Amino acid sequence: MAQGWGDGLPLIPPTQQRVQDFLIAGGRFPDELIAVLPPLRAECTVEKIAINAVMAGCTGDAMPLLCAAIEAMADPRFDLAGLNATTGSVVPAMIVNGSIRNRLDIPCQAGCLGGVAGRAVAIGRAIRLIMRNVAGQSIGSTSQSVYGTPGRVAGIVFGEWEERSPWAPLAERRGVGGDAVTVYGAMGTANICDVVANSADGFLDMIAKSMAYPGANGFLPSSAFAETLCVINPIWAEVIAKAYPRIEDVQAYIWDRCALPIDWFRPEYRDPIGNLGRIKPDGRVHLVPTPDDVLVMVAGGEGGLHAAMLHSWGTCLTVTRPVETA
Amino acid sequence: MTIILDPTASLVHDLAEPGPDAGVLRGKKIAIRIDMLWRSWDWVSEIWAEGLRAEGAEVTFWRSCGRTGREGEQAERDYGALLAQSDMAIVGLGNCGSCTSWTIADALTAAAAGIPTIAVATAHFEGLAHNLAKRGGRSGLRFHILPYPLDILPKEQVHDIARNHYRSFLRNFGVRSRLAEQSAA
Repeated sequence: MAQGWGDGLPLIPPTQQRVQDFLIAGGRFPDELIAVLPPLRAECTVEKIAINAVMAGCTGDAMPLLCAAIEAMADPRFDLAGLNATTGSVVPAMIVNGSIRNRLDIPCQAGCLGGVAGRAVAIGRAIRLIMRNVAGQSIGSTSQSVYGTPGRVAGIVFGEWEERSPWAPLAERRGVGGDAVTVYGAMGTANICDVVANSADGFLDMIAKSMAYPGANGFLPSSAFAETLCVINPIWAEVIAKAYPRIEDVQAYIWDRCALPIDWFRPEYRDPIGNLGRIKPDGRVHLVPTPDDVLVMVAGGEGGLHAAMLHSWGTCLTVTRPVETA
Repeated sequence: MTIILDPTASLVHDLAEPGPDAGVLRGKKIAIRIDMLWRSWDWVSEIWAEGLRAEGAEVTFWRSCGRTGREGEQAERDYGALLAQSDMAIVGLGNCGSCTSWTIADALTAAAAGIPTIAVATAHFEGLAHNLAKRGGRSGLRFHILPYPLDILPKEQVHDIARNHYRSFLRNFGVRSRLAEQSAA
């Protein structure tokens, strides 16, 4: 902490020996450049990843996932420069697909968005330390986040429960099969609860309408476009898939109902939103421009009753990368 | 002996010089970069543009919109084309975290093109703006700082602020007064 390297929690000293052991287990060359990270615009090498990962309590076999995640976050589409500086309460969420979920003990079932014990906490923390120490993200200095979010300590790292999903894995639908990580700029997580619905349309109506609130990122009059993510529990997913076997139909359903009438917005908002061409002929404004911008995945416990919504930040676009293991 | 490795990375190169002065305005093409977020910056820059035009400059506005994906790639091209046709650039507004980040990024691009450049931010985000400029390798970037909060003020009040700041803005930009110009001539 005295060096300004930490997050307030105890750190494991990154001794030369520990870092060497990590690098050997990780199977990458230490001087390999993975990305240039803003706002510091500093070079993030494999060695820097290893040092921060050791401090976080990570093990070497997570190196391929860490490298893939950093590469994805550095993609210009992700707008890490803006994300790391914003007043918003955003953190890059990491969604893991493929068998690497099991090898790294990435949670996709009960408590997957936070609280379940496992190695994802250290993996997420390693990424957060890299953002502090390498990218230079620092509250009050380069980050202007008004509130921050608990996810800025140990990240949001979870998997898709592919075995219980009636649809193809999220990463595969985004063009990357097998082991993959998808990074998504998440303005925290929020719960959607329903103890009444018992049909696909009932569940989807509740999800879609809950996601549509005026202060959500997608409705910002300054945003020409945005994405959004909803996480559906496996119990609801099974019911929904019987009515909608195609994920595109689920996305379209949510997109259609995730909208607000323009007259819900005060008059001063209407012109800026209208100038973006976002008011449909029926007088509604959709949270996101197209059904493709609604990301849907399956994860969570078998208790059902809840879905999770993760609103996006700015015009940050989701990026999926393969996780390449030796 | 146990050796502890450094987890941080730093940028070593820095340009402390502000770059060329704006100098004489008459006959110059000035690009003003505005954005989707801040009506107050629209109001300030329209007042400043009046003044600049009165000095004989030609002013072109460019509005920064989505900066990611295809729209972002197009924005990069459009901004580059604008700078190629401009003699100087006024870039704003740093009035939040991400918009300050983009303001500085766009100002650094303009400065790197070798034209007189000034970034504009509000007081609350001044520290961030300087930090980002330094971390972007140009701590000497010119700045003009407007009061904060600005965007919640009515248009008339923002116009007054713009008028009150116009002369100090010109000084910060390195504009030579007509008097100095005549004297030099």
